[in-house]
Amino acid sequence: MRVRPIRIFVILVASLIPITLAAIFIFLTLYSWPAIQFNGVHFLFGRIWDLGNLYRNPVMVHGTSVPRGANYGILVFIVGTLATSFIALLLSLPISLLVAMFLAEGVPEQFRPALSLVVELLASVPSVVYGLWGYAVLIPFVANFLGPALASVAGFIPFFSGPVGSGYGLLTASLVLAIMTVPIITSTVYSGLIRVPREIKEATFALGATRFEVVRKVMLPSVRKNVIGAVILGLGRALGETMAVLMVSGGALNYLPGTIYSPITTMAAFIVSQLDSALQDPTGMAVHSLAEIALVLLMIAVLVNIVARALTGGQGHIAYG
Amino acid sequence: MKKHSSNLASKSAALLLSMVVGLVAWAGSANPAQAADQVTLLETGSTLLYPLFNLWVPDYTRANPGVRITTQGTGSGTGIAQAVSGVAQIGASDAYMSDEQMKQNPDIMNIPLAISAQTINYNIPGLNRVHLRLNGPVLAGIYSGAIQYWDNAKIKALNEHLKLPHKKIIPVHRTDGSGDTFIFSQYLSFSTPSWNDSTGYGTTISWPAVQGGIGALGNPGMVQASQTNLYSIAYIGVSFHAQIESAGLGTAVLENRAGRFVLPTPRTVTAAAHELLSKTPTDERLSLIFAPGAESYPIINYEYAIVSKRQASPEVAAAMRKFMLWAIDLKGGNSAHYLNEVRFIPLPSSVSELSRKQIVQIQ
Repeated sequence: MRVRPIRIFVILVASLIPITLAAIFIFLTLYSWPAIQFNGVHFLFGRIWDLGNLYRNPVMVHGTSVPRGANYGILVFIVGTLATSFIALLLSLPISLLVAMFLAEGVPEQFRPALSLVVELLASVPSVVYGLWGYAVLIPFVANFLGPALASVAGFIPFFSGPVGSGYGLLTASLVLAIMTVPIITSTVYSGLIRVPREIKEATFALGATRFEVVRKVMLPSVRKNVIGAVILGLGRALGETMAVLMVSGGALNYLPGTIYSPITTMAAFIVSQLDSALQDPTGMAVHSLAEIALVLLMIAVLVNIVARALTGGQGHIAYG
Repeated sequence: MKKHSSNLASKSAALLLSMVVGLVAWAGSANPAQAADQVTLLETGSTLLYPLFNLWVPDYTRANPGVRITTQGTGSGTGIAQAVSGVAQIGASDAYMSDEQMKQNPDIMNIPLAISAQTINYNIPGLNRVHLRLNGPVLAGIYSGAIQYWDNAKIKALNEHLKLPHKKIIPVHRTDGSGDTFIFSQYLSFSTPSWNDSTGYGTTISWPAVQGGIGALGNPGMVQASQTNLYSIAYIGVSFHAQIESAGLGTAVLENRAGRFVLPTPRTVTAAAHELLSKTPTDERLSLIFAPGAESYPIINYEYAIVSKRQASPEVAAAMRKFMLWAIDLKGGNSAHYLNEVRFIPLPSSVSELSRKQIVQIQ
């Protein structure tokens, strides 16, 4: 059989994607190897992140040269990452479903392209813009209005009780992430909803169903996989979001959030904010440990995708418009 | 969809074409003789030095058209790293390099260009016009969580004549690697043994867990965070004095090593610098924090250019020597015309001479 050159070319190009993923994984593992050996399991469960004294001579610990007092634990950042993403999706999923349902069924057909374009435009706004907006508008709003209101309404639940604090923290970061994930989830679910066959909808109407019943009982169940896929897409964005979170999270170090108003730090934001200082560590252990954070973040992201594939029945099919 | 994409393709083709035309026109208009022997220098690093470089560079390059200088405010750590790697010719840093870093990079020099100071600012309604008195142990107590309220007995003891509110203190610190964190934590370390033992100093330190304390990004972030949070306290580089004033923040009077309380003024900063002049070693790596002397302001520092002795070409080296000698010259970059704008003070003549000796080693 003769193999055409174009075929070889396409195979080569297509294999770039898995090769890149593998290369990133291998690079991160190799690069963070000294840190993996030095930190051990403590890395995942330790609450204290301390670069050590970079201005005194390094000491030898178990045969490795590290700054005096160096201690790398990232539990605080793992919790911050998962908590912000989880709360963000909790807020954005119901809103996104309602918006997608409205766009698919509640809007006259001639307005649909324009409105769905607006949603897609929102998805393409650079995250730093959301961050800046969160920084300038959302932080004072949370500190002065939303936080006190939430504390007085739901204050009997320990996680929601005051003091409300400065506006920097878990609540604001989650809100920013929620706003960032709404357009992604909305447009993915919407593109599934509009492809539900007209015959099925008409048949349901013929049975006497109201418009809402058609959407809720027929259309939504048929796009279940789209919804799961959309959530995973949103989660992917929320987990890895860096700048917007960095600007509103309050940069907590060494303690876990006590309430929803506590300052937090996420893994991605922490890598950016610490790289500058880590570069000054003459032993290089600080940079290796930051690479280990990146490795953990990558593994969480891959894990999320595997779970998503399992939930969508192994297809992992996400519909786009 | 198809119609849309072909439309897009023709639009992007037109855009590309116009860019190419523009590029050609631009290349044609540039003076070829000048472009051939023009040297480009990259400066990157400290956000505290960044405003000063932006004052220097336009004037300097107008007088010296043969050199182009690009400036970036990226943080002291980046400045050091990029000067070491050779990406940048001049790395700006508020902190000097450690002994171990110097051992690894023997070609790198730390050259002071000016002297800067840091102010401790707070936002307490009604008290921002008076200067609250603070000292190292009290600040260490606030930043470690031992002192939680503004009417704490230790703060009261320093400010007996003031009525302090029973409000929770919000300590603000930098989240990015910062020369400001370096000099602030040095002040705490040098003045408070317990802070030195538990936390120490560095461009990023492992801040003790203080519930309610917040991290901010860069000096602009520090000003914003303390402006929007009543009862907060922050440490901010003096070159941001204009922003500090327009934010209406209070500036603390700090206790120096001699036990006197002083405001950051040109006089007290100069006094502190002069106390340590004779101690400045030939490689000029010296902390000016917590200087002795009755008039000395305790948080001042040399602003460093981190440069390599070995440059890519003799032309680059010559351009760097010329620019940096101009920068430390009292008639050039160290003149009051530039430094007053950012509230820096010029290098004393003996330090200026040490810097000059280092600059001429650039080859």
